[in-house]
Amino acid sequence: MTCEFKIKDRVGTINPIFTCQPAGAQYASIGIKDCIGIVHGGQGCVMFVRLLISQHLKESFEIASSSVHEDGAVFGALDRVEQAVDVLLMRYPHVKVVPIITTCSTEVIGDDVDGVITKLQEELLDVKYPDREVHLIPIHTPSFVGSMVSGYDVAVRDFVKHFSKKGKPSLKINLITGWVNPGDVKELKHLLAAMEVEANVLFEIESFDSPLMPDGSAVSHGSTTIADLEDTANAQGTIALNRYEGGAAAKWLQKRWDVPAVIGPTPIGIRNTDTFLQNVKAMTGHPIPDSLVRERGIAIDAITDLTHMFLADKRVAIYGNPDLVLGLAEYCLDLEMKPVLLLLGDENAGYAEDPRIKALQENVSHDMEIVYNADLFELEQRLKDGLELDLIMGHSKGRFVSMDYKVPMLRVGFPTYDRAGLYRYPVVGYAGATWLAEQMANTIFSDMEYKNNREWILNMW
Amino acid sequence: MPYHEFECSTCIPERKQHAVVKAPGEDLTSCLPLGYLNTIPGSISERGCAYCGAKHVIGTPMKDVIHISHGPIGCTYDTWQTKRYISDNGNFQLRYTFATDVREKHIVFGAEKLLKQNIIEAFKAHPDIKRMTIYQTCATALIGDDIDAIAGEVMEEMPDVDIFVCNSPGFAGPSQSGGHHKINIAWVNNKVGTVEPEITSDYVINYVGEYNIQGDQEVMLDFFKRMGIQVLSTFTGNGKYDDLRAMHRAHLNVLECARSAEYICNELRVRYGIPRLDIDGFGFEPLSASLRKIGLFFGIEDRAQAIIDEETRKWKPALDWYKERLKGKKVCLWPGGSKLWHWANVIEEEMGVRVVSVYTKFGHQGDMEKGIARCSEGALAIDDPNELEGLEALERLKPDVIFTGKRPGEVAKKVGVPYLNAHAYHNGPYKGYEGWVRFARDIYNAIYSPIHQLASLDISKDPIPTSHGFMTPEMISDAGLDEAVRASDVLRPYTGKADIITPLREKTDYPEFPRRQSAAE
Repeated sequence: MTCEFKIKDRVGTINPIFTCQPAGAQYASIGIKDCIGIVHGGQGCVMFVRLLISQHLKESFEIASSSVHEDGAVFGALDRVEQAVDVLLMRYPHVKVVPIITTCSTEVIGDDVDGVITKLQEELLDVKYPDREVHLIPIHTPSFVGSMVSGYDVAVRDFVKHFSKKGKPSLKINLITGWVNPGDVKELKHLLAAMEVEANVLFEIESFDSPLMPDGSAVSHGSTTIADLEDTANAQGTIALNRYEGGAAAKWLQKRWDVPAVIGPTPIGIRNTDTFLQNVKAMTGHPIPDSLVRERGIAIDAITDLTHMFLADKRVAIYGNPDLVLGLAEYCLDLEMKPVLLLLGDENAGYAEDPRIKALQENVSHDMEIVYNADLFELEQRLKDGLELDLIMGHSKGRFVSMDYKVPMLRVGFPTYDRAGLYRYPVVGYAGATWLAEQMANTIFSDMEYKNNREWILNMW
Repeated sequence: MPYHEFECSTCIPERKQHAVVKAPGEDLTSCLPLGYLNTIPGSISERGCAYCGAKHVIGTPMKDVIHISHGPIGCTYDTWQTKRYISDNGNFQLRYTFATDVREKHIVFGAEKLLKQNIIEAFKAHPDIKRMTIYQTCATALIGDDIDAIAGEVMEEMPDVDIFVCNSPGFAGPSQSGGHHKINIAWVNNKVGTVEPEITSDYVINYVGEYNIQGDQEVMLDFFKRMGIQVLSTFTGNGKYDDLRAMHRAHLNVLECARSAEYICNELRVRYGIPRLDIDGFGFEPLSASLRKIGLFFGIEDRAQAIIDEETRKWKPALDWYKERLKGKKVCLWPGGSKLWHWANVIEEEMGVRVVSVYTKFGHQGDMEKGIARCSEGALAIDDPNELEGLEALERLKPDVIFTGKRPGEVAKKVGVPYLNAHAYHNGPYKGYEGWVRFARDIYNAIYSPIHQLASLDISKDPIPTSHGFMTPEMISDAGLDEAVRASDVLRPYTGKADIITPLREKTDYPEFPRRQSAAE
């Protein structure tokens, strides 16, 4: 029995698991209040990412484009950035934060975005907007490097780099959530509130799940403020939940401002949530209260109803963002399930050193593959070749594999546009552990009934 | 001048000439916004790029083709699973998408070798598919990969495959429209005339500018088949690659979306002498006139008229049921391009609504000419709208419903305006007589949704109506309706099945028309 860790052996991508870096930077940018990013490139790099985000969250977010056309591609397009910044600032008086997010086209033509920001500071901001707080932040996210995951990581780091400012030591901690849903942020804040710990949440996106108000006044936006970002330098410590989405920012804060960093684990499942709370306790000295003991007990009570009878030995394939996939795989093992295939959608030098992957390789007693630089065809090919699966976990783009091979699928991660409201529910914390176990079970139950596969078991349990 | 200046855009004065209000007595000589100009950076326009115009809008609806984008993964991923162009071969074009996955090393050293490996891999992964389209992206255009050369090389080495190359990087033009043009011309230059079709009818057409959104093409093909017309190819919805290589043998090009596909029709006219006939599949009268025109062209008006009579008899009472209930409802008709003129007049005539605004994301002045000509007085027409202008217009016009895309639909939702998806439809198809009734039904359902009514109630200050435990759309729509209309035994709401396309795919009982002797020989 082995756990193989390997790269996909085709060079091309059939049905990608990820999109490219600028999308990650855009998702990070909408978490900041009074922020509208400008994506420096062709218009599709923004239009489709806005669509993707709105498909997932069923909300609209504002992100601008520098609208590079043919002339810009030939002669350089920095004038488009200059114009974009001015137009944006004129028309959106509340905007204070403007990341300039590069793309493949503008990185290839070599536009000096850092240079034009210096120029804009002197010639535009100081002259035309002297009394207005405006931050122009270069974010280099060429699409031919990394993936949306690294784009998110780069953007969080660069925001923190730009804003963090030494001031009075604060009792807060920095909580860098990684690429999560509003439901996750809500659960994380709940856990911290139970421990009476205050946090700078990067990014505070609970407000993405916004209402339709009678007067039509509601808009969806992130709620992390400039003050929150500045204060990251003064925190007691940083907890970055995800190694690949926010880990870089945590490391940078440690190096630059001596803010101790704890990176990971992603608090998916009971065990990783326990570790998260232990890390918070160690960092702040606040005890874990009885209320969380009770909550944990409710989760474990629910899970106990499911594990031995229904989830044990179920064979699972999981794909998506690496921290999510690895967290889910670890949790599945605690649930007596068998994660047999993990697909990571990019090639990241860090994977080889990831302690979670090493631990899986050392301890898993069933046959398992972890494929990086993977695409969804890797999953399909294996099913075609006879891989037996009881469950797939991943985002909506893999829906056809599930349908074609009649393997039930639990939507998790980003994007989950083909199911209603999933962004509202957490996968992290004890509530997330309960939700995951119950949804996995219910997904399998529906499939049993649909296929008349021992569905009578459910008559009595 | 009738230009409309948005308050939010006074600081970008060039926008002023992009919006007009059609005032009394205005005609197109004075009332026409600028169009298809470079986008103002930072304005938060809704436009996409020329890559998506080529690959996503026109290329991908072709159903028996490996669609591969030569570039980093993002372009491929982002344009995947965001449209509803279905096909009768199991939706291969929706289920699979391919990216060459260009990385930094390829940017530096070139990605042609990578491309070739990709092509071979993709064919190997799908041994039943022998056709491929390759789309250039910004990155590979800028590094100057010679995609045509690689495609040619592979075709020599693998004689059973055929590959089409479209060089339309994202930056090639102000919007997706640039890509429409590029792929039209590339197809007629490189592929038309390379296959000879079997001709089975005296009346042979290409159906052009039709993308089979929710089955539109299949609905229209049913009419053509009932008229005994052979449809050589559809450009491109539910279309086959090799059929489209044989476009040169048609007698007539029947053109639906003139915005995205008039170029190929015009070239086919110049190069092969095939006339172009613009039609409308939307709306009873425009569709009837279209079928009549096609009938007239071939001298088979009677066949067209038979369909028109049958379909109208069947579906008009349902359409009118909705028309009575939609009278005077204000509509913002905010699609991408051609629907602004396809729909502007006919939804007023046949559904009784009032179009208070039209806009186009990527249309040209020609689209606005047609759209504004078909609008009623007072309509606000906007070219390349941006986020703030859209909101300002919604606030000013207070429409009852908006027809637009998914994301702008979310913006409208927040200000209490229900939306219908103008690109992908809610529950289409919308073409054909039955389809048009489905559109009316969807509009009705949006406007008279009980939830929509609840949304505007502020429970902290408004009196809370406690008399009802529920409302139905009809309780709302029929409250003020004339008794004669309400009690009419002619009018009836739509009662068709959710899926009207599968039965069409199974249909075989088409009439056989004897061929003319001379032509058949």
